Amino acid sequence: MRPFVRLGSIVGVLAVVIAASACTKKEDTPADGATALTAAQVKVALVPGGAHPYFQPWKDAGGKAKTDFAFGDVTFNETAGWDQTKQNDVLTSLAAQGYNAFGIFGVAPESINSTFENLKKQGFHVGSLASCPAGDKNLADFCLSTDVQEAAYKAAKAAVEAMGGAGNLVHLTGNKVDSNTQRRIAGVQKAVDETGGKVKLLDTITDIDKDLQTAQKAVADLLAAKGSQVNAIVTTAYNPAVAAAGGVKQAKLPIKVIAIDDDPTIIAGIKAGEVAATVLQNPVGQAYVGSYALVKLSEGCTMATPGVIIDSGSFVVTTANVATYDNDRAAKTTSLKSDFDTKYLTCAK
Amino acid sequence: MKPEDTTTPEQPRPPARLPLWANPRIGLVVLLIALIALFTTLRPAFLNTQLTLVPMQADISVYAVVGLSQLAVLSLGHMNMAVGRMAAMSAFASGLLHDRLDAPLIVALAGGLAMGALLGALAGLIIARTGVNSFVVTLALDFALIGLVSLLYASFTDGVAFNGLPAGMSALRTDTFADYCAGDLCGPPIPLLAPIALVAVLVVGLLFRWSRTGREVLMAGSNAKAAELSGIPVRARVIQAHALSGLLAGLAGFLLSANNGAFSAGVGDGFLLPSFLAPVLGGTLLVGGAVSVLGTVLGTAITQVIYKGLNLLQFQVDELKLYIGLVLLAALSLDRLRHVLAERRGVPA
Repeated sequence: MRPFVRLGSIVGVLAVVIAASACTKKEDTPADGATALTAAQVKVALVPGGAHPYFQPWKDAGGKAKTDFAFGDVTFNETAGWDQTKQNDVLTSLAAQGYNAFGIFGVAPESINSTFENLKKQGFHVGSLASCPAGDKNLADFCLSTDVQEAAYKAAKAAVEAMGGAGNLVHLTGNKVDSNTQRRIAGVQKAVDETGGKVKLLDTITDIDKDLQTAQKAVADLLAAKGSQVNAIVTTAYNPAVAAAGGVKQAKLPIKVIAIDDDPTIIAGIKAGEVAATVLQNPVGQAYVGSYALVKLSEGCTMATPGVIIDSGSFVVTTANVATYDNDRAAKTTSLKSDFDTKYLTCAK
Repeated sequence: MKPEDTTTPEQPRPPARLPLWANPRIGLVVLLIALIALFTTLRPAFLNTQLTLVPMQADISVYAVVGLSQLAVLSLGHMNMAVGRMAAMSAFASGLLHDRLDAPLIVALAGGLAMGALLGALAGLIIARTGVNSFVVTLALDFALIGLVSLLYASFTDGVAFNGLPAGMSALRTDTFADYCAGDLCGPPIPLLAPIALVAVLVVGLLFRWSRTGREVLMAGSNAKAAELSGIPVRARVIQAHALSGLLAGLAGFLLSANNGAFSAGVGDGFLLPSFLAPVLGGTLLVGGAVSVLGTVLGTAITQVIYKGLNLLQFQVDELKLYIGLVLLAALSLDRLRHVLAERRGVPA
């Protein structure tokens, strides 16, 4: 029996090798998505990396975009669970369901270009929203995102100002093995370096944006260990911002907190004078203008510069402008949309 | 009683032939087919080749190897809690070899596998020498490696991933055999990753079924003392099984890197739970002494089919988790019921 098995295996392997060597690769056919669709045929999927409060405004913004631009459908799917493999799975499932334009916040900026490439190969239009791929290339049609390094720099500058230009600063942020976090760390470091040694970056605490409890525990530990030495805390992630605002208030320490985003507790903190400032991003603009651009691309427009990176804006809010900040943001969204019409998109009509 | 019964010496009864319904693998196949039929009825897009079947096969390939990695030590009644981080270290080794030495694909893969095997052997050596529980040793190793992976990427890359992949690795992600033709005859729509996983399945299957080493590992898992007294070098087998586990974790890391398009620090983050789920669902005992390689593959396929199906049905994040949990509980309960029925009828299952 055994010799036959061996003989069979050898013949089998040889057959595979011969068949393989005779094979040639098929030429890549151009994606059929190049054919223009009508707005009613466009189905936009907005896919964040996972469930997170930052992305909640995307739901309404997507819905508003659907009404305003009269396209086929919009869905918001946050089931990726911060796992790139799962997100890829969610995206292909949505594509199988007929969604043909994707606004994506990639879980892993370092490998999200592969995901974009896969989708574009199938003929879909893709916008990278709220985060751009790591490195120099963006294989999505465009990236509409906060310039995170710039936003972190603005936040750190606000912190330096709030602490009177000297003292000890602590930076609280998210997932360390994420290239956006690395950019935020660089932004804060730049602002600290500019003080010429007057401000010292006492600590950079990472990996605490997973959920609010993790952030609260980290803030409590920080305040217990070094509370008296810290003059200001700059946060560049959502949960640490909420936790720092609450923690400092509870501990009654004279620490200036620079938050990020506009959770109700943060805005209340600014109004009450407990939070020195917050740096707002523009999630509504990202989803609304992102959907608009995707519809236009599906209708046959092309990007003047494929893969262009566009700053969706960041705004420093203090007690001075806490009542009116949303006007600035709405104005930025309007100007972004007209920038797409005039600068970024090339349309035949 | 017939007279010959008393006169002839009692012959050992031949083992009862396993009826089809009592074979656990058949149960899993039936469940798999039922699930595919159910999801196809609910969402015909489930059979979409490019958007559903090809990505699902790629995921099954990755997670089947993840399951085998855990199975290699479950054979001893041990656990490998560091399976994800061993994959991350292997991906790092592959990435470093390509980045610094411009190593081709096969050398990068070999380097990654060697790194995984080495880490596995180290865990095995500590367990065999000290007698400390494998759970504790591999958990400690996992913690150490989390830090090490982060530090290594920070020292050797710009952030958290290597830029660039060896030539041919992108084809592993994007191509299927349908892209390669001999004349007009093209291959089936199976991703190029699948045969690599298939080789791993065959090798592990043959190892535990036919090789002396594999059988000795199972005997050591069944009863270490008895195995030792029978002259089996139990310590060596413990080290070898853990080295195999590390090697397979390394292979899974490589496959995931190919699938996601980057050697990054996040590789392996989501491996731990699936690594247990697939073998246990497939009939591998947690206490050691019995493994089912085919069952592990089927267990992986079932998990991925459930995940893909629920994704296509567009369940929201909490519902998705709830239903995955419920379906898996139902699958495990059915298997238990089958086991109990088989025992009552005196059939080994």
